[in-house]
Amino acid sequence: MSRKALILILVLVLVSPLFGVIGSEIVGYHEPLDVAAELIGLSESEPVWQGVLPDYTVPGLPDVIGYVIAGFVGVGILLLPAILRGKELGERS
Amino acid sequence: MHIPDGFLDPITSLSLYVITLIVVIYSAKRYFSGDKGDISYLSVIAAAIFAAQMLNWPIPGGTSAHLVAGALAAMLIGPFGGCLAMFMNLVVQCLLMGDGGITALGANAFNMAIVDVFVGYAIYKLVLKALGKQRRMIAAFLGGWIGIGLAATVCGLEIGLSPLFGYPVAITVPVMASWHLALGVIEGIVTAFVVGYLAKRSPNLLWG
Repeated sequence: MSRKALILILVLVLVSPLFGVIGSEIVGYHEPLDVAAELIGLSESEPVWQGVLPDYTVPGLPDVIGYVIAGFVGVGILLLPAILRGKELGERS
Repeated sequence: MHIPDGFLDPITSLSLYVITLIVVIYSAKRYFSGDKGDISYLSVIAAAIFAAQMLNWPIPGGTSAHLVAGALAAMLIGPFGGCLAMFMNLVVQCLLMGDGGITALGANAFNMAIVDVFVGYAIYKLVLKALGKQRRMIAAFLGGWIGIGLAATVCGLEIGLSPLFGYPVAITVPVMASWHLALGVIEGIVTAFVVGYLAKRSPNLLWG
């Protein structure tokens, strides 16, 4: 289970730009709630916090590469409790 | 379904932060006090959900959909574990990527880590009890589908009731509910196939 789960996560992150970046550009994707905000004039209210890697990008890097790096950073942080615990990932007690 | 900053008024925002934190703390107590509470497994599920949510399925017309997977998480690690995994995921998405406003984090977690998880799981268990384990995939489909539809309905209620948002509940609720119930069919199908696959191959990975 553990190795299979980690491989699945790896594959998901690696293929994610096909959906989240390239596919989004093809259809001209915008977050629906952001479109709603623009329609009613809320667009001028800046986000209180933009994030360290805003919108899954790494400043200065192409979007596809930034998306993958952002994915690995997010996954790495979420796996941190398991890594710190030093147990085999995904092993059930 | 991630609400950005500027949509919710301070009272709604703060109230949902408080409610969410109470439920998350209670969930942590329940999950880790149980026999199957396991931080490593919880981490892997949270990371897998994070990775799965990065796959936006583009839909012609300028929109997209992605899995939320709150109900699915509950089917794998129980409702309390599912709540924690979704909450961890939403905190990372918000703080790291700015996905969902920081002032709306309580509301977003209420919708996706509480409503989707607990309602989706309750429907799954009810249908499982009514139809039997042979119909597990139908139960998982209904849990995944209705869970996301209801989470979106609550999201519509929150932004519709907020005086900062320009549209009333009569518009926001039908729009959010109908849109996510339509797209939520995909969520239900993915949930059903993952649960169906695990029931055959590794039933010990399913909760309860």
